[in-house]
Formats: sequence, C-alpha cells, structure tokens
Amino acid sequence: MAEMRKLKVIVFEDYVDAIVRSLGEAGITQLIDMREKVDEWKGVLLPYTVSAETLTKCSDITTKIGESLKTLGLKPEDLPLTEAPSTTGSTKELLAQVEQKLADLPVDTLRKCSEISARISQLIDPLQLKPDEVAVEELPPEKPVEEALAQLEQKIREIPIETAVRLSEVTARIDQLVDALHVKPEEVTIEKVVLDKPIGEALTEIEQNLTQIEKQVATVGLTDRALLVDKIGDLSLDEKSELGKMLSELRHFVLETRRMFGARLLGLRNFVADRRIALGKELLTLGRVVETVRQATEAETKVGEVREDLLTLQKVVEREKQVTQAEEKLARTSKTVYFEAWVPEAYTNEATERVKKASNGNCLVSDEPPTHEEKAPVILKPVPQYLSAFEKLVYAFGYPSAGDINPVPILALTFPILFGLMFADVGQGALFVLIGVVLTFLKRRIRTEKMGDVVRYLLVSSEMFMFLGVSAIFFGFIFGEFFGPSGILHPISLGRVGPFYIGGFEPTQEPMKMLKLAVFVGTIHIGLGLVLRFLNETRRKHYKLVPVPLCWMWLLFGGLFMWAYWGGISNISRWFAEGVFMLAGLVVLPLVLIIGVTSLAEGFMEGLGFGVEVFAETLSHTMSYSRLMALGLVHSAMNYLFLVLGGVEHGHFPLESIPMIAVGTILVMIIEGLVVFVHTLRLHWVEWFSKFHTGEGIAFKPFKFT
Amino acid sequence: MDPSFTSLIGVALSIGVPIISAAITIIICGTAMAGVGTEKPELLSRLIITVVLGEALAIYGLLIAFMLLSKLSIITTIETANKALISGVVIAVSTASAGAGISYCGTSLIGATAEKPETFSSNVIGVVLSEALAIYGLLIAFMLIGQI
Repeated sequence: MAEMRKLKVIVFEDYVDAIVRSLGEAGITQLIDMREKVDEWKGVLLPYTVSAETLTKCSDITTKIGESLKTLGLKPEDLPLTEAPSTTGSTKELLAQVEQKLADLPVDTLRKCSEISARISQLIDPLQLKPDEVAVEELPPEKPVEEALAQLEQKIREIPIETAVRLSEVTARIDQLVDALHVKPEEVTIEKVVLDKPIGEALTEIEQNLTQIEKQVATVGLTDRALLVDKIGDLSLDEKSELGKMLSELRHFVLETRRMFGARLLGLRNFVADRRIALGKELLTLGRVVETVRQATEAETKVGEVREDLLTLQKVVEREKQVTQAEEKLARTSKTVYFEAWVPEAYTNEATERVKKASNGNCLVSDEPPTHEEKAPVILKPVPQYLSAFEKLVYAFGYPSAGDINPVPILALTFPILFGLMFADVGQGALFVLIGVVLTFLKRRIRTEKMGDVVRYLLVSSEMFMFLGVSAIFFGFIFGEFFGPSGILHPISLGRVGPFYIGGFEPTQEPMKMLKLAVFVGTIHIGLGLVLRFLNETRRKHYKLVPVPLCWMWLLFGGLFMWAYWGGISNISRWFAEGVFMLAGLVVLPLVLIIGVTSLAEGFMEGLGFGVEVFAETLSHTMSYSRLMALGLVHSAMNYLFLVLGGVEHGHFPLESIPMIAVGTILVMIIEGLVVFVHTLRLHWVEWFSKFHTGEGIAFKPFKFT
Repeated sequence: MDPSFTSLIGVALSIGVPIISAAITIIICGTAMAGVGTEKPELLSRLIITVVLGEALAIYGLLIAFMLLSKLSIITTIETANKALISGVVIAVSTASAGAGISYCGTSLIGATAEKPETFSSNVIGVVLSEALAIYGLLIAFMLIGQI
C-alpha cells in the first residue's frame, strides 16, 4: 500500500490553468477541497472563484462542435480516438483560439450542400426515372462556391415539390385511360400537344382535359362498348343482314371515337413524359453541380482533417471545462493561488516537476506526510475481476482505512458459506451455478454499460452466483436436500465438535442441532473477525490495544465452551454454582482484562463503556447468527410445501410433479434467494465488520481527464 | 378452553401479526425508497436492506406457524396448548416491535443516506438492531415449541 504525501503549492494566478491541466494529464494527484479549509487560515486565504463565463463558453463551444459534427453526418464514436494535443497557456486564451479555428472551418457550405442534395432527392424520387431516360447534360461553367450555392438554392426553391408528384399522378391517370379504351398505338396518329405555359398551369390544363375525357368515356359507356366491339371483330358477320349492318356501324363509331381519344391521350402522354424527363434532367444537373461544389470545398479544406480537427477541438474544450471545474477547489491570496493535493509517494517527484515546468519555475512546492488528524486517501491493490461483486458489497459499506487488511478476499470465502448454510440445496445450487455460467458467458459477449440496471447487477455478480451455487450444493449434500427435503439424498456428516453436529441431520427434523450449528458457525465467524482486528491493530501500531481482540476471543470461545459444557442456557443456574470458577476464568477474567487494557489506553470511563459494549455484543451478535437456522428452516419448509403439492414422496418424483416443483423453485430462488442474500450481507456488515472494518477510509480518486 | 382451539389461536397469531408488521414496514420503507430513487437511484441497491429485513419478519412468523402446525396433532393437554399459544404471542409481539423499529429507523436511514451517503454504515445499525429483536423472540418461541 502506497504511502501518501501532501503536496502544497503556491503559484502566480497566470499559471494556474497550465498547472492544473498538467496534473490532470498525469492523473496522479487528488486535489484537496480548500473551500472547507479556508476558515482555518483566518482570512489569509479566500476561495478561488472560477468565472462562470468560462464554463458557459465551454458548453457553448461543445454544443457548436456537436452540431457541426451532426451536419457533417459524423458520429464521434465512429471516428478514431485522437489524443488531445498538449496545450499551454491559460484557459481563456485557449478557448479564444478554439473559437477562431471553428469559425475558419467551412461547415456552413457543407451544410448547405447536404440540404440542397436532400431537397433534390426529395423531388427526384416521385418522378421514378429510369437511368437511361436521362443523360446528364453538360455542367454550367464553374463559379465561386458561394455564388453557385446561392443560385442553386434559388433554382431549387422555384420548383414546387407538388410538381413532381403531380407529374407522376397524371402519367398514371393517362395510362389507366389508355388501358381502359384498349388504344393500340399503331392504330392512331398521335396528336401533338403544345402547351406553352409554365409547368404548373400546363398540368392543370391537362388534368381538366383528362377529366373531360373520363366523363365522356363514362357517359357513352365506351369501355364496355369497346370490349363488345373487339369481340364483334372476331366474328365474321354478314354485312347484308340488318343486325350485321347495325353492328358494323356501331363498330365503326366505337373505333372512330377510340381513335380520337387515343390520339389525344397519347399526345398528352408524350407531352407529360417530355416534361418529366426535362425536370429530371434539370434536377440531376443541379445535383451534379452541388456535388462538384461539395467536392471542391472538401478538396480545398480537406474534410478528413476538418473532422479530426473538430474532435480535437472538442477534446480541448472538454479538458478546459474539467480544468475550470477542478479549480473550484483552490484557494487564493490577492496575487497568488494556493492549493494542496494528495499524491502517492512514488509520484511525488513527478508531480513536483510538472508543477514547476507548467509554471516556468514561478512557484513554491513542498510536500509532507499527512498529519494524525488528517485522513489521507487510500490506494488498495486491485482484487481479481471475479471478486468484483464481493468488492462492491464491501465498499458499499465503507472503504478500508489506510493500513487495514482489505476484507474482500476473506469475505469472498465466508459470504458463500453463510449463504449456503441458509440456502442449502443441491438442485437449486446447481441452478445458481448454471445461471452464473450463462451470465459470465453473456458478460463477455454484450456491452454491459448499455444494459438496464437489473441486468447490469446480474452481469456484474455473475461469478458470485457460481460461488453461492457451489456453496449451496455443498451444504445441500450435508443436509440431504435436493429441491427440498425430497428424500433422494441422505445427509452426510462431516463430524462433530462437542455437542455441535456438522451436517448429518435434516434441519427440519432436528432443528435444535441446526440451531447449535448456526451458533457454532457464528462464533467462528466472529472469531475470524477478531483475528482480523488483531492484525489491523498490529499494522496500525496501536500496541496498547492489541490485547483487546485476544481477550475478546477468549471471552467468545470461553462463553461458547461454557454454553456447550453445561448443556445450554437452560442450566444457567449451574454456571453460578458448580461452574463458578469456570465462569470466572472464561468470562469474567477476559472481560476485566478488556476493561483494564482499554482503560490504560483511553481512560477508565471509556474502558468501562467498552467492556459493557463487548459483553452485550458478544451475546447479541452470536445470537444473531441463529438466523442461519431460521432462514435455513424456512427455505426447506417452503421447498417441502411445493414437494407436497407436487405429490413427491420418499424420493420418488412423479412426472406430473415437475411443473409444480418448477414453479416452487422459481419462487423460492427469487424470494428466498433475495432474503437470504440480504441476511448474509447484514451478518457481514453488522456482526462481522463491527469487529475490524470501520469503513472510514477514503478512496484515492486522482484528478484525471475523462 | 379446548387445547386444540388454543393452539390454533397460537398459529393464527404467529402468522397474522408478523405479516401485518412486515406489510406496514414494507409500506413505510418502500414508499420512502421510491422517493429517494427518483433523486439518487444509485443508492437503491443499498437501501433495499430496509424492505428485505421487513419482509424477513413475515418469514419468522411463517417458520413458527409452520412448526406449530407440525405439532398440532400431539397437542392434547392444556399445558402444551398454552405453550403453543404463548409461542405465537411471543413471535407476534417481537415482530411487531421489530417492525416498528425498522419502519422508524429505516425511513430515517433512507432520508439520511440520500443527503449524506457516507453515513449509511453507521445509520444502518438502527435498522439491523431493530430486526435483531425479532430474532430474540424467534429463539424463545422456538424453544417453547421445542418443549411441546
């Protein structure tokens, strides 16, 4: 564990930004919030006020850059990560430079180009042109970019979006009519339609024309007759007969009308098609022009670089924002700025050098070890990744103090044991292991940060599921439980310590044995906590208090021995009769020693108070472990309930019992699993941590750019 | 009174009162948690302890009721029936007290943690000690049943 040093720096105001930036780049120091300490300096120091303007400017520029990136159709996460260049000078100067650079970028032109392109494709889509219909004409001579764009915008605006849609509608209507009338192009001489009008008006006229034709066709019933006539044409009729004459007249009439309408319709169709192609050509030409303008602009400014520039600028601004925010922790005199920072001993020189370099030597830097009253932040060795869930459980209670043993690896052992005692079941334990394996597999495949809260918790604790499951399987064998006390497994005994049976019984049948085992396990767990307290006191060099945990263990195990020796609490009268000497030696003496030792170290009243506390805690905390029995029994009882409902008897699982057991297992695993988990956690947080882990440490969080 | 009726009252008390206590505790702490969750959702995983400890009260009641039920067939004398009744009363009273403790300390813990998360480890003591009260009652009820 690295020792901490406290860095003290006085520097002229002009260099503050550069120094903080340099420290942020290194990420080795934790700035101390001077605002809380200003009072101690009795008016010499004032809080360093950060200008709100700078922060607003940072946000403004960030938004602007974000918009520009969006305009260029870029997503920052798709682009390669570039390191922000190391910069010097004050934040204000830097921000001004960034703004200047931003103004120089041709973002506006590019945005206009994409707007026009979008509009063109919006217009061109309804025309449904085939590529061979339109050959792109020559491009107009090149003009300066701004002028060309302005013209393009003007032209585009002149074409209303309905025109394109109307053109295709009219074409469809004409096609429909032509089909209905069975017009054959080879039979008619196509009329030439000339409408020398703007396209909008021409279309209106054509539409009116079409409506008329449609009306006439409907009134004469031409479509039906046309069909009839076509049919007649197939028959060879005698011209002389009366019917024959009438029919041939009719045919003549129909063919004549059809030819007339057909000529008109086909003429219109040609006209519309011409217009459509003309419009398409115009639009495509415009599109080409836009493309050329865009290419010219991109070539001129090298858009690839622009993109990277934007990202770099964004990073620079982001960094300046963090610098400004960090500066809120500093303090100032009239001309200089003063601040303190924690730095690991190994990095003290580097930090000092950085401060000196960034301020060109215009600074005073000193470092010193933390005083007794101060709490220096702590750096812990990282625990293996598979213990990260247990780590979270420990740190949720509190961070270990400097010099203390990190309880995470030990908790990773004891936590599953206590959980398994309460959740003893081979089947459900195996399911837990399976869930753990699946979650671990998923964790490697999916990005956890994108998941919801619950899923993320599950993924983080994937390895813990395996630990808990293995323990549950183990204790399932000990107590003979397979999806409840189903009778398939027989309890396996691990042995016997005095009156304490370790396994070899069914908890529901012999609850007293389970209670004794729970108290036994609790005593050992608390004893382990006291061993850790002993080690911690030794490491903290509190030699005066080192005997306390030893005497406490004496009291704890002595009390347990007496309880076992005299056959439980019901014979307590004998403790004071035949057992009075044993009581004196095993309970009273260690308690007196604890009071004596603490009195010598901290004063008599504290010693007495602590003695009473030790006595009460020893009793109540040990008793608290009887919840191992209670929850263990409830777990078996609930499983038993579903076994009975499913009709399982003497280890025989009928097929129809499986759905009921599945439902029961899901319920028990979720509800009981949660309750047992929280109780295991509580036993660790309260009964165990209170012996050695104060959780008053502060994690070392160096100031670092994110 | 008829021994079997007396012992049935014991069963009813041992399951009924703990469930009411658990419900009240969960109602009080759950609503407080929901309020804090809107501001600081990251604290919820720690604060859930209040609700789960409240729920455990019902489980203790369930355990005693379950054990009493399994003894019903052998309760024939007034003496054993009284023991069954009193064990029900013991678990009822102790879980009710624990429920009151968890509700009061739990809501305060939730409020205080929202304001200053670092005080959690000290404030949680009130909640867990209240819950320990139910364990003491459970032990005595358990031993009473053991004598039947």
